[in-house]
Amino acid sequence: MRTIQPTPISVHGLTKQFGRLRAVQELTFDVRPGQITGFLGPNGAGKSTTLRMLLGLVRPTAGAALIGGQPYRSLPHPRRTVGAVLETTGAHPGRRARDHLRILAQVTGVPDGRVAEACDQVGLAEAADRRVGGYSLGMRQRLGLAGALLGDPSVLLLDEPANGLDPAGMAWLRGLLRDLADEGRTILLSSHLLSEVAQTVDQVVIINQGRLRFAGPLDDLGDLEASFLRLTDAHQPSLKDLP
Amino acid sequence: MTSLIASELRKLRTIRGPWLLLAAGPVLVIVGVAGELAGGADLTQPQTASHAVAHAGVVSLLALIFGITAVAGEYRHQTITDTYLATPRRGRVIAAKFTVHTTIGAVFGLLLAVTAVIATALAITANGDSLDLSNRDLWRTLAGGVACNAAFAAIGVSLGALIPNLAAAIATALAWIALVEGLIGELIDDLEPWLPFASGQALGRLPGAPDISQWAGGLLLAGYTVVFAAIALTTSVRRDIT
Repeated sequence: MRTIQPTPISVHGLTKQFGRLRAVQELTFDVRPGQITGFLGPNGAGKSTTLRMLLGLVRPTAGAALIGGQPYRSLPHPRRTVGAVLETTGAHPGRRARDHLRILAQVTGVPDGRVAEACDQVGLAEAADRRVGGYSLGMRQRLGLAGALLGDPSVLLLDEPANGLDPAGMAWLRGLLRDLADEGRTILLSSHLLSEVAQTVDQVVIINQGRLRFAGPLDDLGDLEASFLRLTDAHQPSLKDLP
Repeated sequence: MTSLIASELRKLRTIRGPWLLLAAGPVLVIVGVAGELAGGADLTQPQTASHAVAHAGVVSLLALIFGITAVAGEYRHQTITDTYLATPRRGRVIAAKFTVHTTIGAVFGLLLAVTAVIATALAITANGDSLDLSNRDLWRTLAGGVACNAAFAAIGVSLGALIPNLAAAIATALAWIALVEGLIGELIDDLEPWLPFASGQALGRLPGAPDISQWAGGLLLAGYTVVFAAIALTTSVRRDIT
């Protein structure tokens, strides 16, 4: 087993303003290496925006989002430090999966041989020579994950990684993530599947309306769903409040 | 930078769309040349041959669309996220795309020029005459056509970076060429020769080109290419990828 450089994630006072919308407000939390941290919040809570600021895709209005103490843009080999699968990680439908991964391997700075290894790791070896247009949602998730793992990164940022996976796929993903965390990697994953999250993560960060609601061990929350609903209760209108 | 250029080439090699688009080029040139020479044109006039080979420049519309897909195509298929994650200094990505697509635009232009000369020579020979290869206008038109293809490929890259929605970028380009430039010309007569597409027409010595010299057209188009590229670079570096 190769030694992984422990690489914490640190978010401090992070704020993003899109026009008049404050998507993220003075968010502060840390993510530790060697553990799986669930990043939870209702739709529009600011999870994706936060992940995107961590990855240098969105410019913060204020605050810092650091990976191993550095902003993403300053990492010398970003894809060898951080592997990311976002909701908008895509592949050209006319391109074969293996070619897609070879292109990524080249810019990641790893040899083409890593492509076959990553395909094996995510169970895509058989389908790697097919065009991505024919892939199911679950296979696309696996392809995204293979791309993220190419650089053998010490940090993984995953946006809804269980989306489209069948029950067997989810169990497989859970095992894979646990193994990767046990090797000392830092894993931050967002999800809406609370029962799945409860089986997968060690730590939880919950945000609502761009603000931090909770950061700490899963065990401190008791029942995850009940705690989540209580912490993110944002004056949702009930039916009788509607005109 | 070498690895970024190699990566851009790999991206192009592994899909079919761009090549199908460019493959239409020589076909359109042949059709254009045939149309020019068939309609009772006076084949003894050196001007006729120049007009025929000018189709190499007309087809630079395809080079423009090819360029547009460089950045806008990556947005369309959501590969831009991975591309920028690998190279957070986005200016380098855009620069690599300029290099690769402009070069391919030039090679494409060269291919069109060769096709145009051969098609024109064959058509004139079939008529019992022969193409006068000492005609300087012919070669100037061909050279302008090649330059047009390179420049419009580069302008396409800029346009796709400015308007990342692929369909909107292509629609904007076509509307500009077919409509907007003509309307501006009608409103302000003196401005018309100085607009981007008109300068391309002058450079490629297309029929209906404005009354400015080929050199003036070429310089103008080069200026537009550089200005658009600078705007595309600055906006790409600042844009939030959501």
